[in-house]
Amino acid sequence: MREIENKKLLTIIAPGELQRMVVEQLKKRGIGGYTVVAASGAGTSGLRSGMLVSDSSVILYVIMSEERLREVLVDMDQFMSRGYRVKAFYQDISILPRKEAKPKSGEAVTD
Amino acid sequence: MIGSAASNLLDPAVLFFVLGAGIGLLRSNLEIPSALARFLTLYLLIALGLKGGAALSTGGLPAEGILAIGAAMGMATFVPAYAFYLLSRRIDPFDSAAIAATYGSVSAVTFITAQQFLTARDVDFGGYMTVAMVLMETPAIIMAVFLATMVRSRQAVAKAASAPEYDEAFEPLSTREVLREALTDGAQLVLIGSLVIGYLAGTEGKEELLPFTSGIFKGMLAFFLLEMGLLVGRQISEGRAKLDKALFAFSFLSPPVNAAIALVLAYMIGLQVGDAVLLAILASSASYIVVPAVVRYAIPEARPGVYFTMALGLTFPFNILIGIPLYFAAAEYVWP
Repeated sequence: MREIENKKLLTIIAPGELQRMVVEQLKKRGIGGYTVVAASGAGTSGLRSGMLVSDSSVILYVIMSEERLREVLVDMDQFMSRGYRVKAFYQDISILPRKEAKPKSGEAVTD
Repeated sequence: MIGSAASNLLDPAVLFFVLGAGIGLLRSNLEIPSALARFLTLYLLIALGLKGGAALSTGGLPAEGILAIGAAMGMATFVPAYAFYLLSRRIDPFDSAAIAATYGSVSAVTFITAQQFLTARDVDFGGYMTVAMVLMETPAIIMAVFLATMVRSRQAVAKAASAPEYDEAFEPLSTREVLREALTDGAQLVLIGSLVIGYLAGTEGKEELLPFTSGIFKGMLAFFLLEMGLLVGRQISEGRAKLDKALFAFSFLSPPVNAAIALVLAYMIGLQVGDAVLLAILASSASYIVVPAVVRYAIPEARPGVYFTMALGLTFPFNILIGIPLYFAAAEYVWP
């Protein structure tokens, strides 16, 4: 079995209109993999019914290392300082990686 | 006027809007799947574009059309300018810039409903009015971004000492990026593309697509207005506490004022009554799809709960229920 890795799962809730901007910022940090889910709800910005493009939210899930997480959180902080209505929170996760870790020299590869 | 308003209120599409609003205000559990709602938006824009393009291919772009487009562009510049001037004296300047952009732009659904209103009364209008609608979207956004940048610069000077230092990888938004966002909006591109297809396909294409653009159109519009009514009802019940009296007044007073200015302009340049009413509708409506989406990106400091609620929750129903018959009655009274 593959070796379980400890990672961080960052969850970003943002207006749908800002998805492209958030993703482009993630790319600048070298992150190309993410999952997006359409969402609706309500908050200080009012109702987000999801019925119109201008009225929809998205949830982005990104798995990354702790070092990279800190950089991304700085970016999210900058977004918020500018007034963008995004929420970001993270949690520790244990993940079964898709790619197997490269065996150390002298170590046997097992099935 | 009263007869015109009453017959408008008894239009099935408008009645569905009222039904939706009532259901929304009652906080009923009715849900319209968001994918269906988005499909209906695209359907209406495609039908609008195809019909406008087909009309342009047969009628061309006469001098009257060029004048109407010029008047529309003039209104799209004038409305945000005066709106910002008035509002920024009372409320946050970023909110003012966002509202200016929203009201300087147009509501495609109000425009479509007005076209239906005119068609039901056998009043002609030109396909170039759809071109005018498309062109009115951008000037207000550009002006609002310019106004917001101006406000931001003033505030940055005042707060220079405490301004946060940006990370190297975090570049500030450029006007070019904002314009790209505005000009590549999906709804806008679909509308422009449909207009071009309608123009290229001409009369033959129009005949082939009649069941799509006309046969089911009224029913689809009724369904869409049910959904919009639902959204309006929920927006009103969720967001009314966030607006002060000045914003309430602006939401209800600016549409007839803008419409009156547009009608005077239309009369002066010699537009026919149908075009004049559509120009009034374009000038009096506020965008709640394209512009709020761009403003959220370009003016993040503005509160969406304010400009979106005003455009969708107050001005949109005002125009659908009262504005369209009111502007039509005014035009009928003035035009020979």
